[in-house]
Formats: sequence, structure tokens, C-alpha cells
Amino acid sequence: MEPGKEQANGRGATDPNDKNRRIFKIIVIGDSNVGKTCLTYRFCGGEFPEKTEATIGVDFREKNVTIEGETVKINPIIKWHLSLVCLPLQLQLWDTAGQERFRKSMVQHYYRNVHAVIFVYDVTKMSTFESLPTWIDECDRHSLSPDTPRVLVGNKCDMADRKVVTSGIAQKFSDANNMPFFETAAKLEEEGDKINNVFMTLAHKLRDHKSMMPPPFDEADSRDSRGKSIKLRPNKAELDGDDDQPSDSSCAC
Amino acid sequence: MSAKRRQRTPNGKKTPVTTDLNATYTPPPTAAKSPQGPESAKKAKLTAIYAALNSDPVDVAALRKLAISRGGLLTDEIRRKAWPKLLNVNVFDPPPKLKMPIEEHRDYNQVVLDVNRSLKRFPPGMQDEQREVLQDQLVDVIVRVLINNDQLHYYQGYHDIVVTFLLVVGKEKSFSLVDKLSTHHLRDFMDRTMDRTKHMLNYLLPIIRKANPKLHDFMERSEVGYVFALAWLITWYGHVLNDFHSILRLYDFFLACHPLMPVYLAAAIVLEREADVLAVECDMAFVHSLLSRIPDNLPMEELVIKAGDLFVQYPPHEMAKEAQLQYNKSSAITKHKELEGNLRGQRPDTVLRRLQGQAGGQAQAGSKQSNRVVKVAVWAISAGIGAAALAVLNSAMEFWV
Repeated sequence: MEPGKEQANGRGATDPNDKNRRIFKIIVIGDSNVGKTCLTYRFCGGEFPEKTEATIGVDFREKNVTIEGETVKINPIIKWHLSLVCLPLQLQLWDTAGQERFRKSMVQHYYRNVHAVIFVYDVTKMSTFESLPTWIDECDRHSLSPDTPRVLVGNKCDMADRKVVTSGIAQKFSDANNMPFFETAAKLEEEGDKINNVFMTLAHKLRDHKSMMPPPFDEADSRDSRGKSIKLRPNKAELDGDDDQPSDSSCAC
Repeated sequence: MSAKRRQRTPNGKKTPVTTDLNATYTPPPTAAKSPQGPESAKKAKLTAIYAALNSDPVDVAALRKLAISRGGLLTDEIRRKAWPKLLNVNVFDPPPKLKMPIEEHRDYNQVVLDVNRSLKRFPPGMQDEQREVLQDQLVDVIVRVLINNDQLHYYQGYHDIVVTFLLVVGKEKSFSLVDKLSTHHLRDFMDRTMDRTKHMLNYLLPIIRKANPKLHDFMERSEVGYVFALAWLITWYGHVLNDFHSILRLYDFFLACHPLMPVYLAAAIVLEREADVLAVECDMAFVHSLLSRIPDNLPMEELVIKAGDLFVQYPPHEMAKEAQLQYNKSSAITKHKELEGNLRGQRPDTVLRRLQGQAGGQAQAGSKQSNRVVKVAVWAISAGIGAAALAVLNSAMEFWV
């Protein structure tokens, strides 16, 4: 049955250049000037802007990553088994304007079909931390599932002497809201690894998260623009297979 | 060059400068050789601009044409003189008294945040100290305009517009110009919400549909929306173009035109990039990502012409009907009609300077007689109108008048 599914889709394991990489949309939100743009630039690795400016509306950045994952593979002797492969993912980051007027009318469009959320505040500015509940409400208002992976980032840790939001209080808040918490200094080049961690944590959560799977057939087919979701489905099938019947699969090996 | 002469006909003969202009139009045959072509065309244009500025009343119709046609108003020195005329601003009027300290304005903190990180907008190589002085001035101009017009709300991107004025015309003049612009062209962006900004952006896709149904269909399927053009519209491209001269050239264009012209230019840019758009995956992210970045090498002068053509072929009131938009909902548009009516009858700066100090009022000799000539002139740009556009010029004029 499982091999049949594989064959029906006509695909084996994905390779990193596969156009069928899984795409995840991540929205980055938080008050004005907390460093959302810096953070996404730093992660996406491209040219780092020396002079970041206020974001107007929504900016888009992307990064292709691979993470380890288990997938169902067909071997040459028509037996199938589980193997570890690198799953290509594309993280699409929607960097949003912090000013209230934008989030009230322009940004809503980008909450649709979002797979994960990054909340950012500025550790040197209490008001940006205090706004977080409003940002969480904002997500709820856009009917994001409570299961949608979320991450909390306290940025601008390079200004340690001006830090007013202690790690303890932020950690407490993130625990209460069930999201991993990171502190970063997106301005500093040496922070690259740390920022990578933020996004890779999210990537792993996304990989493991069932509700994050691409939409089902009928929904995908109903809209042209989601056409690519159809192409993504083999991965979903692979992962679903893994998640659903790990022991069976292991036995089959 | 003969086109320039044609452009000047509405008022040209009244002014003594016309003679000078004619002199530049009859160069010896050898001088007309191509290497000198652009230079002499520029010289003729300079003369024409000064002629328009110095005639009494100021020949705003000619000035608008010159601001729209190739190269725009050419130099910052001219812009300092011409921009106020395009907005019917008397730069000699004393600035209004501030009703409160700027730090107390509700938007002050946001303005400071945005201005502090607007480094990219200042000429590279400018000394930090000099830039900081300008940044202080920028905050000052923005907040003064906001205080002067309590109904206006600051939006991120407004600072990109104001900095352009500040760098060209200086602090005092930029206050009067931005003050006027904010209650006219930019008015819809400055509501408490962005509903009316959205309303203006709502014209974009219908224009593209008219001009290129296939491209429109692709964009619609991708669900890209119009947010990729938001920064274009609300900053008049100041936020998205790297070349300051291109920005200034567009400001000349927009100051001489209808408030929806930035949307028509957006349509022209998208249409120009048809092949690029159709080559990407039909998905919001890919299309948004492609379109939101304007390449440096776009043929801006041609796009200006294209935008003008689109405007004449698919005028806003017709688009509004088709797209079921409420045309008159826009303050920017209704106020523009008013501004149009008041543009004629402005006195040249030499006269205004003389009148300075005397009881005001006479500077606005405001004849409200038919401004049909002005309006036709705006679009009778020599190379600017294709045959199809000319065919519908009349219906467009009905709208104007």
C-alpha cells in the first residue's frame, strides 16, 4: 500500500534542488524598530544591509535549508524501507511593518496560510515586550491555529547595559505561551549561528508538526495558486507515513 | 524642439522671453548635428522653463508640460522655483506658529525612529554631522506639518517623501510644500487608517487588466494583491529607487499630475516587466518578491510616457466605474480638482518677493476661468501620447473640465 502510494506519485526521495521542496511561510511580527528586518536579513544570509530602513508594508525574503528527516524510499529490489535523508525546505519570511496602521489593513493578507510566527521585541525597550500580548491577539484574530509553531525573540542583546527586559521575565512569558525563547543581537555578525538556531528550531518544529503539512488534495486543487502544494504532497505522504506507522516501517526494513 | 514651441503656444506669446526662446529654436544648421542634440535640447528646455516661471501670471500649463516631458525639471535650482508653482504655494508666506512643542505630538516618537534609520536616503559620502543636522530638520518639518494639520496622521514612508523635498528645497520651503502636498496628493495616505490608501491601490489591477489581460490573469491567480506597490505609491517611489535623480524626475512628474499618477506608473512598471512576471511560479511569494524590487535599469522616461498614455486611455473615473470604486471617496482626488482650479494666476517670484511684507492675498489672483487649456496642455506632450491615447483625449478632458 505504502509503496503503491509512492509509485503513484512517481517520486522517490527529494534532492535539494528538487522543485518539490516543501515551502513554509513564516511571518515576522513585532513593534516598530525591534529589528525584524535585521533578523531576517541575517538569517537569509544575503548581503547584509548596513542601513536598514523602516519596512513599508511587507518585505519578502527566503532561504532554502535542508534538515534531516526520515523518508520512505524504494530500493532497487522493490523493497521499501525508511532512510535518513536531507529534506529540502524553503522558508519564506514575510517581514512586516511595525506601525499599527499597516498591520490593521495591509498585513492581514499575509497571515493567510502562514505556517509559523516569529514574535520579536527589543530587550532595551519595555514597551515592545509589553505589546506582545497584542501581537498574539493579532494572530488569534487571524485565526491562526493555536498549534501553529511560534518563537519568541528578544533582540538587541548587544546593548547589554541598556537591557530592561530581563531574560527571566521573557522566559516566563514564553513558557506561559508555549514557545521557545531566544535572545539575539542581529546587528552582530558573530551572532549568525545563534540566529540560524532560531530559524532551524522552527524548521524542525515545522517538519514534525502535522498541522503544518501542505493542504489536502481537494483544498489544493480548488485554487490554482496553491498548485505547488500538489507537487509538495509526496513529501507529506512520506512524512505522514513515518509519523503514522513508525514501527511497521521499521519492521519492513 | 518644434514640439517644445508647440507646447508653449497657450501663453508663450504674452511673455517677452518668447523671443529668446525663438532664438534658441533657430540654430545654424550645423549646430543641429546629433552630438549637440541633447545639449541644445536641454538648453532650449531650460529657457522654456524660465520663460514659464517668469511670465506673469506664471505659465503653469507650460511648466507642467515641462515637468512631465523628458528629463523633467532638469536641475534642483529649477525645482526650487518650479515646485512651489506646481502646488500653488507662495514660499514668501510666513510659516504658521506652532501650536505645541514638536516633542508632544502623538506621532513624534515614530517619526524619530524612522528618521534615525533613514540613512540610505542621504547622499553617500555626506559627513555624519551634516546628515544629523538634516535628520533633525527632517523630524522638525514632518512634525510641524502634522501639528499644523491636526487631521493628518503620520505613516511610515511619509518621511521618504519629506526627505526628498528637504534635500532639494531646504527646510523652510519644504515645510510649505509638504504642508500643501499632505492636504492634497498625499491626503488619503494620512487618514487614521489605510482604507483610502487601499482604495487608491485598487485601481492598479484593473488598469493592468485593461492593458494586458493575460498578465492580469496571471497576477490574479497568484493572489499577489497590490501590497508590492504600496511603498511605491505612498513614498512616490522614494523608498524603492536607488537613484536620487530618478526619484526627483518622478517627483517633477507627479507634482504636475493627478494624485493617481503614481498608480498608473506602477501599472506601467508591471506591464514593462511582463516577461519576468510570467516566468516565475504563479504564487504570491514569487510574484511579490519579483515585483516589489524595481530593477535599476528600467527605462524610466519611457515608463513616464507609458503611465501618461495609460492615464489617458483608462482615465480614473472610467476605471472607478469598471472596478466599482468610489471615485469621489478620495480626498486626494477631490482636492486635486480644487488645486487645478487655483493654479492659474500665480505671480512670478520676482513679483512675490516685492509684494512680501504687504498685506497678503494678491498673490492668488486666482482666475477660475476654464482651465481646459491647462489640462489639455498637461497631456499634449509631444512624444508622450500615442495615437490611441489621442483618440480618447477628448473624453479624458471632459473629466478634467
